[in-house]
Amino acid sequence: MGGDEDHHQRFTRLVLPHLGDAYALARWITANRADAEDIVQDASLRAFRAIANVAEGTSRAWFLTIVRNTAYTWLRNNRPSALMVVDDLEKLESEQVATTNLDRGTPETALIAKTEAASLEAAIAELPPACRETLVLRDVQGLGYREISQVTGVPIGTVMSRLARGRAQVIKTIGGKST
Amino acid sequence: MMRVTRDEDAALRVHAYVDGELDPANALGVEASMAADPALAAERERIEVFRRLVREHLPPEEPPLGLRARVEAAVGMRRPRMQPSWRALAASIAVTAVVASGATSMLVAPSGSNAAREGIVDAHIRSLMASQPTDVASSDRHTVKPWFNGRIPQSPRVVDLGGDFPLVGGRIDVVGAIPVSTLVYRHGKHLISLTAMPAAGHANSAPALSEDAGYNIVRWTEGEVTYWAVSDASAQELDKFAESFRATPPDR
Repeated sequence: MGGDEDHHQRFTRLVLPHLGDAYALARWITANRADAEDIVQDASLRAFRAIANVAEGTSRAWFLTIVRNTAYTWLRNNRPSALMVVDDLEKLESEQVATTNLDRGTPETALIAKTEAASLEAAIAELPPACRETLVLRDVQGLGYREISQVTGVPIGTVMSRLARGRAQVIKTIGGKST
Repeated sequence: MMRVTRDEDAALRVHAYVDGELDPANALGVEASMAADPALAAERERIEVFRRLVREHLPPEEPPLGLRARVEAAVGMRRPRMQPSWRALAASIAVTAVVASGATSMLVAPSGSNAAREGIVDAHIRSLMASQPTDVASSDRHTVKPWFNGRIPQSPRVVDLGGDFPLVGGRIDVVGAIPVSTLVYRHGKHLISLTAMPAAGHANSAPALSEDAGYNIVRWTEGEVTYWAVSDASAQELDKFAESFRATPPDR
């Protein structure tokens, strides 16, 4: 009958184009390719079941929200140690206040520019989960602040500070390595 | 909550400026403050160099090969790929009589279609490879029938054929995203899967024999349900099974 055909068409149009983004996000969160594939498959099934509820223009942020939640649920069940930091976000926020530093001591841009892919990826992977996912969503996947706020479920102000901190820390790491 | 200093606030605005997130008035304000403060100008430069690095080294990823197919199979958009060796393996065992009950609102494939046939044969083959061909193993229809309650929308017709075709149990197969009931009977060394697909509006039809992937299939429609019996038993035996199933009242 027509009803379910429509769901498949809708799924093809609204979800399938974002599989690459979904996989990348899951991989950044779990740091594991096979896990990322399982998570995307699971998240896709959830998205399919709810496909009638998604609004046209917001499908990417909506699907990535599902992927993110699926990934954290997966981590909680399979690798709780990776999540200790996330469970204490408040603490994380307050401890990290001064990371955006404008003083001297920040690396030269010329040094930063020489960074190689592997060092860059490693520096991002080292970030605390909240900063990492924000930075990945913005700089790797190109989401706007509002979309990131939707996906991660925090206010735009928090998105901004996490992003700034994440960038500052990565820049510090790769700048330090290049010297 | 965190404490945001004036410096930090200025820095956040530079990030938002580089990200194109500011309205024109605020963007002008940030440009003015960057012109007045070399530290902010340097921050902007770092962010831009960093963003260029990311674009260069971490371009958007293509999903891994096969992920799309996996996802499509998971949501019932394509038939999972099978290894040819399965057939040889599976062919040694069974006849599956597949009885699919109706999932009313989500009927995808017309019950007589090729997609349904493929799905039903795949389900039969998968069941032969699993450690158990059934989800509920019982020769008692009073155990098998209630098992389906609450798992699928319709209650399948379960009959005890005894003698040549003892009931082995039942399972739920998913055919074209529809959960359907499958009864499993045994005939000698063969298993028969009997799947019941909802077929609202379809006229009754007599058993018709066909073949797919080396399995014999007998299909008939009765009471708005299309029955598919799948097995590696011979066509004659499968036909006899169908006749026996059709002739046996459920309440016997």
